[in-house]
Amino acid sequence: MKTVIKTNGLSKTYTNTAVPVEALKDISLEFKEGEFTAIVGPSGSGKTTFLNVIGGLDKPTKGNVIIDDVDIASMKESQMFDFRLKHIGFVFQAYNLIPVLTATENVSFIMLLQKRPKEEMNKRAKEMLEQVGLSDKLDVRPNKLSGGQQQRVAVARALASRPDFVLADEPTANLDTESAFNLLDIMARLNKEENITLIFSTHDQRVIDRARRVITLVDGAVDKDEAFDRD
Amino acid sequence: MLVKISWRNIWRNSARSLVIIIAIVLGVLGGNFSAAIRLGVERQNFKETVEHQVSHIQLHHPEFIANPEAHYRIEDGLKVAGEISQHPEVAVVSPRIVFDGMAASANMNTGVRIKGVDPELETATTDLGNLVSSGSYFSEPGRLPSVITGKELADELNVEVGSRIVLTFQDVAGEMVSASFRIEGLYEVTSTAFEKRNLFVRSDDLNELIGDQEAVTEIAVVLHDVDTYRKVSGELQNTYPDISVRHWADMQPSLYYSLEFLNQNLIWIVGLIILGVSFGLLNTILMSVLERVRELGILMAIGMKKAKVFGMIVFETTILAIIGGTAGLVLSWGMIRYLNNRGVDIAAFGGEGMGDFGYASVIYPELDTAFYFQVALVIVAFAILAACYPAWKAIRLVPAEAVREE
Repeated sequence: MKTVIKTNGLSKTYTNTAVPVEALKDISLEFKEGEFTAIVGPSGSGKTTFLNVIGGLDKPTKGNVIIDDVDIASMKESQMFDFRLKHIGFVFQAYNLIPVLTATENVSFIMLLQKRPKEEMNKRAKEMLEQVGLSDKLDVRPNKLSGGQQQRVAVARALASRPDFVLADEPTANLDTESAFNLLDIMARLNKEENITLIFSTHDQRVIDRARRVITLVDGAVDKDEAFDRD
Repeated sequence: MLVKISWRNIWRNSARSLVIIIAIVLGVLGGNFSAAIRLGVERQNFKETVEHQVSHIQLHHPEFIANPEAHYRIEDGLKVAGEISQHPEVAVVSPRIVFDGMAASANMNTGVRIKGVDPELETATTDLGNLVSSGSYFSEPGRLPSVITGKELADELNVEVGSRIVLTFQDVAGEMVSASFRIEGLYEVTSTAFEKRNLFVRSDDLNELIGDQEAVTEIAVVLHDVDTYRKVSGELQNTYPDISVRHWADMQPSLYYSLEFLNQNLIWIVGLIILGVSFGLLNTILMSVLERVRELGILMAIGMKKAKVFGMIVFETTILAIIGGTAGLVLSWGMIRYLNNRGVDIAAFGGEGMGDFGYASVIYPELDTAFYFQVALVIVAFAILAACYPAWKAIRLVPAEAVREE
């Protein structure tokens, strides 16, 4: 299987605090195409920092992040904007959506920034909303959707542009059990159907139980890297 | 879709947007109205002073300006006036015999400027015939020659239409001459000072009294297009080097500078108000940016470039300014147009004394069409400037931190 992301000796130290904080320590990992990985660990273990660094939202202090044979850690900020747009899908914890746009418009938004043809955009947005079970909410704005529905729209948006991989930072943190399971089912299915690499940060056991690979971080370092057969 | 997002963002907090739109409308309305009043006053003053009093260009003997006596006549004045009237830019020429003298009634006397005019030419030049508010204008042949005086002068001399006054002045030989005139009409202009000082008689009557039938001490010139005054006066000066040629701006420098100042700076009367309103606009947009930190972080995280985020904020600000500005411009245009027809009577606010300073007590506010476009440009320019700080704040957000903002 093709390697989608490779990190070598990744370290991140925050120096803008009273005492320098080592958020990541020498992390070297590989993520293959189509993997469903959970990054777990207690609060402050470095999960979000790791996602931010491999998602190009933050730069490592040391080490590199190779995506598509390119070290994104050495990219300029403007190049990073383009890179994120073309290669990475994001799902954040909550309130992910643009409140003034409908579900369809939200899902189309990344494709719009990518300057995809309008017809393709609309077709793909409808298709993705159908896949996440929201075909009856196409023209509804986020404030009329439940938290779970909003996260499903966010997943549809992240996947619609067919990125190389999707990073989800605790996507179920604010969801009730039913909504969380529903979202996870959808993500697991799309992971298989679209063969998209999914990497979650979570401490939600419901997510961990679905992941085929679980990487445990403790104090910014990899404590365990386990594979599970979920099929 | 970015336009759609900007538009919808504006109406997310419709009350706040409406407040700033109303502030812009009131700012533009107030600014334009005060500018229109200011311009209206000065243009009226120009009309009164230049069109009813001094004309566009005047020619005199060089000594006449310091010593306005019949002795300082323009050589071949009637011939010169005839030649000037042939100039293609010249509309009307009025040769006058003008000098200072005394006017006396039965119980009062005062210093006056006596102007001997051709009644028809004078009306074509200064509209004098139409400024006569009581009596008539050189229409009644009588035993005594006619004089048209200002209403203020008649009040000062305690005389009225039909009364007899005695004018005393020097003839061409420097001898004192006194003659009786009958007041045939009273004229009224805005300037009480002009009314008190100037009186008009037929030039034929005056010339006979001073002993020179063809004496001309002043030639008043009215142009087809007032804007050519510098060019034409320059040409006349070249043609008649021995005659003093002065245009209205030379004769009324304070009026000229006042109008020039307004032409160049009127926009800043409105601009200053719009600048003030811009700070309100800046505050509104800044609040809207600070309320959307997480959302803006997400937009940048998923790949929306900073330039687009910046543009979106500027666009939102500009739309607000354009809505408020357009409404303000349309309303002020309507209001100024209405008041220009109707006039604003400031007598009720103590404006009656304005005449002492040469100003009318009824003001007709006016603004040129181009000015509205200038204001529109200023609104958009200030809106873009006001947007820069909030937009800069927006693009300074760190996406990784902003997306976690509660």
